[in-house]
Amino acid sequence: MTIFLEQIINGIIIGSMYALIGSGIALIYGTMRVLNLAHGEFYMMGGYLVFFLVVAYAVPPWLAIPIAIAAIFVLGMLVQRLTIAYLLPREEWAFATIAATLGLSIFLQNLALILFGEQFQSIPYYLPGVVEIAGLRLPQQRLLMLVVAVITIAIMTFVLAKTRFGWALRATSQDKDAAAVVGIPAARIYTLTFGIAAALGCIAAAMLAPIYAVNPWMGMPVLFKGFVVVILGGLGSFPGAIVGGILLGIVEAVGVQVTSSEWRDVIAFGLMILVIWVRPWGLFGKPR
Amino acid sequence: MFKPLTLRTYLLVAALIALALALPHVIDDSYLLHLMILSIIFAIFASAWNLVTGFAGLKTFGHHAFFGIGAYASALLGINLGLSPWLTIWLAAVIAALAGVFIGTPILRIRSMPHVAIVTLAFAEIVRITISNLQGITRGELGLWGIPAFEGFMLPLIGEVVFNPSVKLWYYYLALGLLLLSIGLIALMMRSKVGLAVVAMRDGEDAAESLGINLARFKLLVFGVSAFLVGLAGAFYAHYVSILTPMAAVGPDLIILVIAMVLVGGLGTFSGPIIGAFVLTFLGESLRVLDDYRLLIYGALIILSIMFMPRGLATIGSFFRRRPAEARAD
Repeated sequence: MTIFLEQIINGIIIGSMYALIGSGIALIYGTMRVLNLAHGEFYMMGGYLVFFLVVAYAVPPWLAIPIAIAAIFVLGMLVQRLTIAYLLPREEWAFATIAATLGLSIFLQNLALILFGEQFQSIPYYLPGVVEIAGLRLPQQRLLMLVVAVITIAIMTFVLAKTRFGWALRATSQDKDAAAVVGIPAARIYTLTFGIAAALGCIAAAMLAPIYAVNPWMGMPVLFKGFVVVILGGLGSFPGAIVGGILLGIVEAVGVQVTSSEWRDVIAFGLMILVIWVRPWGLFGKPR
Repeated sequence: MFKPLTLRTYLLVAALIALALALPHVIDDSYLLHLMILSIIFAIFASAWNLVTGFAGLKTFGHHAFFGIGAYASALLGINLGLSPWLTIWLAAVIAALAGVFIGTPILRIRSMPHVAIVTLAFAEIVRITISNLQGITRGELGLWGIPAFEGFMLPLIGEVVFNPSVKLWYYYLALGLLLLSIGLIALMMRSKVGLAVVAMRDGEDAAESLGINLARFKLLVFGVSAFLVGLAGAFYAHYVSILTPMAAVGPDLIILVIAMVLVGGLGTFSGPIIGAFVLTFLGESLRVLDDYRLLIYGALIILSIMFMPRGLATIGSFFRRRPAEARAD
């Protein structure tokens, strides 16, 4: 029973990371209706940045992680400006952006392979200790992940609900033209949103990198997890992505207990196809 | 697409077929034939993907699932039941088509392109992981070997037809036959009422539906035919290379390659996918020395062609033609 409970808690913690990744995909889709297949690559590049800063240059993690997040934020904005912004006015923009981000994903993955090699790199735990609460043993590293996820989600919720940028972002996603009429610069909102989404991926990478290894292919599986999350929560919904992420974490933890770890992804994808079949607007969204 | 076929088109197609038939007798090089065979396998795959994505407008990203299903089904039927590849490639294509209808039924109800993209990608991953996990049947990542080869036979007037790894000639002709069959089927379909309905559907779903087109039925038909052809290409591939691994037969690299081919060649054209398949296969081989850079270049090609050449190589000729002719051609 204790082990089972530990697994569930671990599932929630991993799920909170899925939520960060999924919410990035959801933000981009929610504002500019673009499905970003390169999202996993921001996660991958974030992982490498943290690895190089912490391991190769011995920068303390509390400084290295914010530097990496800022760098990925800028990189995300740059990518949006150079590709997505250019394709959005096209008639065939929906397919063009999916295909372009797919190409970008392959390009970045293989660039990383050439630059950094195919060996799996590991980052030491930021906190090595173990906490015991009511007979449950939890590594401090995992607790830290949960704390970071909660803080990030709280900040994002605040930004979306209470700041002028958040209002502008929500207005643009509801009606781009009407937002433009009242003077909201949609193009700039899109670029900033892309940067923020990439930065969210980088936070997840920084927290997951000590547990999973850093390698050129780490982005793809995470991208798929992010897709499951946004489908569960309703594509384009920020709160939906948070709930979807945690739900996926729990389902996987239970599923692996029942079957085996080789089938983890099949369980996740099967759940997603089932949800699309029954409720295409997501578990928590409303039909449009 | 619905232009009447001119004598020029017929002559061009006839000349290309004659050239393809004569090629092994002009240049007797087994490495070149190997590249031609690979190009043809990809040309079938790319044309079938283009049928759903370019013509019918259903943007799927999981067609490599059908390639893998076709390849493994044909190989396993041959190994376990001792059936001849001449039969199993067709059975395998039918199995792939059934899988296509099975996954097509839920996704074709969805009109949102991102949902379709995500579900098809995930379906292909499920197929890959399942093949890789069922080690008792498929030998997983170790690779499935011992796949029977096509049996040879005597052909009157021509002589003995043999299929073995050192003699590529008849593999080449068989592949060419399958390619002509696939292109013929796609062309016939697209130039019939089905084609009109499908294109009307792509260009305006609601308008097409209001004219009484049964969207779901036509979409499913196109999806099934496309899965059949991809499965056929996969089955031929299995008996040609005679070893299968999940990564080689159902890996995401496959669909990326096919997408790059179709985008470079020209999405939504008949000749584009074929041109793309040949150009990228030969380009890929000439980059063999730079093996690590191959996927990097494919990724860059996808981005560059979507940004700067959205209609592909197949329509590049119209840049050089006089304007009035171009206006009429559209």
